[in-house]
Amino acid sequence: MRYLPTAPAEDRALLDAIGVKAPEDLLSGVPADLLLNRALDLPPTSSELEVLRDLERMADKNRRFRTRFLGAGAYAHFIPTAIDMQVGRQEWFTAYTPYQPEISQGTLQHIFEYQTIICDLAGLDVTNASLYDGGTACLEAALMAVRVQKKRNRVLVSAGLHPHYREVLRSGFAAHEGLELVEVALNDGVTDPSDLAAKLDESVAAVLVGYPNFLGCVENLEVAAQTVHAKGALLISVTMEALAFGWLEAPGNLGADIACGEAMSFGNKTSFGGPFLGFIAVKDAHKREIPGRVVGQTKDLEGRMGFVLTLTAREQHIRRDKATSNICSNQGLIALRANMFLQLAGPEGLTGLATQNVAKAQYLQARLLELPDWKAVNGRPFFNEFALQYTGDWKAAEEAMHTEGILPGLDLTPYGFQNHILWCATEINTRTQIEHLIEVLARVASVVG
Amino acid sequence: MSLRSRESLIFDRSVPGKVGMDLPKLDVPAPKDTRPAHLRRKGFDALPSCSEVEVIRHFTRLSKDNYGVDDGLYPLGSCTMKHNPRLNEKTAAIPGFAESHPMAGDALIQGNLELLFTLQEWLKEITGLDAVTLQPSAGAAGELTGVLLIRAYHLSHGRKRKVILIPDAAHGTNPATAAMAGYEVVDIASGSDGTVSFEDMTDPVTGKVKAGFLSVLAQYKEDIAGLMITNPNTLGIFEHRIADICAKIHEVGGLVYMDGANMNALVGVARPGDFGIDVMHMNLHKTMSTPHGGGGPGAGPVACRAILEPFLPRPVVVRETEKVGEGEVPHHTYRWDWDRPKSIGKVHTYFGNFGMLVRALTYCYSHGGDGLRVATLRAIVNANYIRKELEGVYNLPVKSPSMHEVVFNDAIQAKKDVHTLDIAKRLIDYGFHPPTIYFPMVVSGALMIEPTESEGKDELDAFVHAMKEIAREADENPDLLHQAPVTAPLRRLDETTAARKPVLRWTKQA
Repeated sequence: MRYLPTAPAEDRALLDAIGVKAPEDLLSGVPADLLLNRALDLPPTSSELEVLRDLERMADKNRRFRTRFLGAGAYAHFIPTAIDMQVGRQEWFTAYTPYQPEISQGTLQHIFEYQTIICDLAGLDVTNASLYDGGTACLEAALMAVRVQKKRNRVLVSAGLHPHYREVLRSGFAAHEGLELVEVALNDGVTDPSDLAAKLDESVAAVLVGYPNFLGCVENLEVAAQTVHAKGALLISVTMEALAFGWLEAPGNLGADIACGEAMSFGNKTSFGGPFLGFIAVKDAHKREIPGRVVGQTKDLEGRMGFVLTLTAREQHIRRDKATSNICSNQGLIALRANMFLQLAGPEGLTGLATQNVAKAQYLQARLLELPDWKAVNGRPFFNEFALQYTGDWKAAEEAMHTEGILPGLDLTPYGFQNHILWCATEINTRTQIEHLIEVLARVASVVG
Repeated sequence: MSLRSRESLIFDRSVPGKVGMDLPKLDVPAPKDTRPAHLRRKGFDALPSCSEVEVIRHFTRLSKDNYGVDDGLYPLGSCTMKHNPRLNEKTAAIPGFAESHPMAGDALIQGNLELLFTLQEWLKEITGLDAVTLQPSAGAAGELTGVLLIRAYHLSHGRKRKVILIPDAAHGTNPATAAMAGYEVVDIASGSDGTVSFEDMTDPVTGKVKAGFLSVLAQYKEDIAGLMITNPNTLGIFEHRIADICAKIHEVGGLVYMDGANMNALVGVARPGDFGIDVMHMNLHKTMSTPHGGGGPGAGPVACRAILEPFLPRPVVVRETEKVGEGEVPHHTYRWDWDRPKSIGKVHTYFGNFGMLVRALTYCYSHGGDGLRVATLRAIVNANYIRKELEGVYNLPVKSPSMHEVVFNDAIQAKKDVHTLDIAKRLIDYGFHPPTIYFPMVVSGALMIEPTESEGKDELDAFVHAMKEIAREADENPDLLHQAPVTAPLRRLDETTAARKPVLRWTKQA
């Protein structure tokens, strides 16, 4: 086996030094009747070349698409070449959590810079080294709000959150007797203000609102904040496409107390939904309630700038059952990709990228609406995603697009939006691709018509 | 090679106008600004402006201040810092996998579903359990999933149980998880052999009596939802009464969760399902080397007995086999089953850290069933070699047989006022990452060493030599160790001030 440093003479030397005849003799601590008395019923060791062939065969069974218009929480964006080559350095991807700061300054300083940039994008004071993904970030944010808002036991969640995010919230809340998760309806693409007002009272710890929401609509966070704060609750903004921060005002500047969501768009592929990058940003007053690892700046014995993991009194390895969360491993390397992406982009790149996303999505929407079987469903501003109603045969249309190498938008019928299709366009979609899509859809329409 | 002094913060080097990323000219009309005025982005305070070369150099210089597995033996106990095969990185990046979309229909992602199904089959055989979910993102997420399964199981039987038992040597995520799942945590004492004590234990220093397994069991009986146990435990010792422990928990109607953080000591050698374990997680970033990534991403799949299968997070991957003629290769198709009425729901937005799961299956295929066993045995040999070479030089507080890691402490060196932290920091000067220190907390001043199977005798000997030199220095020149490290990019850092006056981000100087 190519990874194991075994050789008969050396193996012998190790066993002799220990004073045993065979490795199995070292299993004396395991009761004999608990030892597996047979070989694992699994295939034998394989060469590198064979494994690569096997995995490539599997990957080939997935359908690949030259053109993609599918988002819904997982966005295909351009990734600068420099990122893969940097992250492939062993100093980044093989290292452990930076518990020994003297020999982990690379990771620690990167996290400090990442924290700075995420706070900047979110318009808030404190963030952490990352959470697993958008859905679990919502859960952590909601549980944090409940901790902060002692004696308040209800959390309102807008029906405009990604259905999977809502399901992760429900799974997490189910375990907490006494906590209640209540859904607020959508109206005309955004969280219904009257339903929100009706459900909001002094028992509500926080309200989660999409920004933009699952339908792509930009919610009026400032108005939501006023309503929510009037009852003493916290506003949690949930952003599943963090690139929108290049176009939309930071949620913290609009009154959000906590901003959370998904930042995979910064330098990561869609990778079947993971590993992604959950983020949470909070106000300074709540910094000791934030879940997960946080890096702080300090000095070494000689007064030089350095970084350490800090505020660890919140964490599981110190506080055990009183910790703010059980999180330990996070999405470190994905945060590194995001950090490098954002540093490469800078304000100019990020703004440019965001602008292109809006332009492509607006163009796609305009072209679709020129076709007879596509109807607008609301007039809300959107970033790079929007829903339209389709009056044709979606199965047939989908089939035709697949044949043409196009991965279309998402049919929202299973999620309660009858015949709504959620389209996404980003900087990677060219005008030619959009025209090709329109051509295919026009053909489907004329065949059906 | 790091020839320069410490790298400054990128923000201090930003020059407006510079950019490290460019885009094609916009090929569609410029967007209409549909945003209400107050929703328009007002700009950025910190986001730096740098060229590509500046950003690459920045990260490259930073990276040189990190110690990685390729730098040498990385003996962090419980963390399993083994070799990270490059092939795993390559397979995860195959475009068919990396560009696949989580919301795509089943017909478009047959390869992904086959991969997940296959990995589940491997993990079932390795753990001896009946069903697997790959959704949890890391060990702690796996623990939470497992405890939620236990909870759902009890509720389905109309039982409201309040308590989870946890041995005091457990990793902090265990009690944190139990609390997150709404349970009250009850500690169980460890015995002098390092395993779960059946009898009550009296602390020799404080005189406090800590409840053992039997008295906790008698006290809480039908209130016990389950027990969370790490095996081998955090001292690297196999819980030799595990079958009895499981039987006793089952007698009161509880279930047993195994924290599989140390599963790399068991793969191919013994199976938790055969001990009586009901549900467990594995840390694929440890056991299957997916790798650690400076803190993640990980993957924490959960395996369970058939009685817990109905509650698994949804969706569940299902294989359907088309009937074929005799002698023909059967044709399999795969689909997601979302119709799971008893499911605890989702614990990840999509299906888990898929890229890490590709790496894990690659690791499994490379080793094969036979290679996995060889790796396990070699990890145990390496730990025992270090134990043999260092016993007496360092105090071995618990003498039970070691599996994949060994725990020493600073009892000998403390007589010269040299403590675990000093020993750890001095090891840096000898070119090694320190072991896990001050954990498990049941051993005062613990030095927990896990060499893994990746190390050959040369590297083990170099480590042993360094540890012996440090012991000699501790005896002859203790102050040298108080000063350590002296060769690292930085000296010891002031963690107290960092926590008291937290500076958690850069801010522009006025």
